[in-house]
Amino acid sequence: MTPVATARQGKRSLRASGVRFVLFLLRARAILVLVLLVLMFSLLAPEFLTANNLAILTKHVSITAILAIGTTFVILAGGIDLSVGSVAGLGGMIAGLLITQGMVINGVTHYPSAFAAVLAALATCLAVGLLNGWMVAKAGVAPFIATLGTLYVARGAALLVSNGKTFPNLAGQAARANTGFTALGQSFFAGLPLPVWMMLALYAIAAFIADRTPLGRQVYAIGGNERAARLAGIRITRVKLFTYLVSAFCAALVGLIIAAQLEAAHPATGESFELNAIAAVVLGGTSLMGGRGSVTGSLIGAFVIGVLADGLVMLGVSEFWQMVIKGTVIVLAVAIDQLQSRIQARFLPMLLEEQTTEGA
Amino acid sequence: MNRRLARAWPALLWAMLLAPVGCRREANRRPLIVIIIPSQDNPFFKAEGDAAAAKALALGYRVRVDAHDDDAYHQDNLIDAAIASNAAAIILDNAGADASIAAVRRVTRAGIPCFLIDRAIEADGIAKAQIIADNDQGARIVAAEFAKALGAQGGKYAELLGRESDTNAQVRTGGFHAVLDRDPRLHRVVAQSANWSQSEAFEKTETILEANPGIRGILAGNDTMALGAAAAVKSAGRSGIVIAGFDGSPDAIAAIRRGEIRATALQPAVLIARLAVSETDRFLKTGSTGKPERQVIPCELVTEANAADFQNFEKVR
Repeated sequence: MTPVATARQGKRSLRASGVRFVLFLLRARAILVLVLLVLMFSLLAPEFLTANNLAILTKHVSITAILAIGTTFVILAGGIDLSVGSVAGLGGMIAGLLITQGMVINGVTHYPSAFAAVLAALATCLAVGLLNGWMVAKAGVAPFIATLGTLYVARGAALLVSNGKTFPNLAGQAARANTGFTALGQSFFAGLPLPVWMMLALYAIAAFIADRTPLGRQVYAIGGNERAARLAGIRITRVKLFTYLVSAFCAALVGLIIAAQLEAAHPATGESFELNAIAAVVLGGTSLMGGRGSVTGSLIGAFVIGVLADGLVMLGVSEFWQMVIKGTVIVLAVAIDQLQSRIQARFLPMLLEEQTTEGA
Repeated sequence: MNRRLARAWPALLWAMLLAPVGCRREANRRPLIVIIIPSQDNPFFKAEGDAAAAKALALGYRVRVDAHDDDAYHQDNLIDAAIASNAAAIILDNAGADASIAAVRRVTRAGIPCFLIDRAIEADGIAKAQIIADNDQGARIVAAEFAKALGAQGGKYAELLGRESDTNAQVRTGGFHAVLDRDPRLHRVVAQSANWSQSEAFEKTETILEANPGIRGILAGNDTMALGAAAAVKSAGRSGIVIAGFDGSPDAIAAIRRGEIRATALQPAVLIARLAVSETDRFLKTGSTGKPERQVIPCELVTEANAADFQNFEKVR
């Protein structure tokens, strides 16, 4: 090899490692932003980095994270679910109805246990998820339209349950044997609030399904190329139904947790939660076109949104600036996502070439 | 030059990030009062929040104003953040009489005194004070003025209700009818909720005027809806329709001076906010507010005759 060629190759390999470093930074952007935010808020607000505040923060994050985990599946399969906020509201209202008003059967009011009320709420929400899935997968309604429809239907239903009123005192009564509901949102386990454990458990299950099971890979395949997936023998309808059911289940869980935390079910609960969930998913690097992304990314995205929200409040930043900052972060995240794909596409030949020469 | 600048900017960035830390050390010694209001873009709540903040700053406290947008869950998060920030006290205009109980209880359990303004909760003995405007009395004085304006001939009138889930909407319509239903010359021919909203009130009023051309008055549960109704009356080319509202917002008082709205009840939001802060201060210094928990402050009737006496939810003259 001539000295000139060696020098050229050395320069090229230096450039390649530079490109690789930039790509690494771009890929890890969500976690980098998270670390940066935590650093910044810890410096600016002395109370931010305390165990107490971090526990509270994680509890807040768990709400967005649980929704985002469910939404990730829908988006990975190339869909969208706008109804999650309304479904959360509906879930809380169903539980609230059963705990405070009971069920009238043959003129006698029965009070189901808190556990039964939770199951009934989950079942109602899963029915909405089933409707979403059926409309999208079977009836061929565009996901945006179908779930926009259920957004209104579920919100209306939540308002109808109580005629717009709030169900108070969800703690239940010992005489009716329906106490215990509030534990869902207020109890602690090993020092962390229960919702945090639920988020971690859901994350573990969801990440396992997405990465390690055929079902999970089929979700990616459908999002990547639905026609190819169909030709490969994937049962599209079933997989899509699954994604909307997961999303509705997560939404129901969130509605129940919030009702348990507030000890009251309010029909407007969950308004615009879907946007937070989608923002978390997108921040985590999942493509809205489907087929690309991860559950882990969504979890990190939820943390970014949660840390940003709580940190700005603790700093006393005005509400209006909070909105501007949140929006900017979301748009920047997507812009960087585009930049990453472009850099990858542009330098891929070079990186590959370098790899082959290294190999030789 | 350019390159030197390029090298300097990370240092500059850190300096900008760290600069406030130095300033905050000093400020941190003063106790913090967190004021949580429903929204920053509504003149009523803005006046309330600003008045409380100004008073607390004058008394030597640090102040933070947050808004919960009538979302009980968001309110919960803001309260968590206030507890985490070691607030000395929280002044709260809450997001729902039922849905806020658990949050107020959590604040009290954390050892932080909580003072409620403008809206009460359905529980006693948790908050240190609940200072609210007398919505019932306010509604009665507006209704009396409304009846007087309709005169001896009376007639048909329409009512625009607030959001039905809101306690104040129910109390106000109760106060209106305690006065108006005794008068046999007055007939409410239509009642609809416009959810406190100006645009919704505009649309509803247009429809109501279309369906009931004989209407002589419109009674609205708040000023925003009264203004929407006034705009609809104007755009329909009607005149001589008596409109009354509630709240005493600057826009409504301007409309009263122009003769578009007849009367409103001014909620003493600024007075209540200042009261809450001085009671907070007394509580933090002496361990007691020296007042009963529930305090009801009367509203003031605003008509063309005294419209100049009021400014930004406060009687100035």
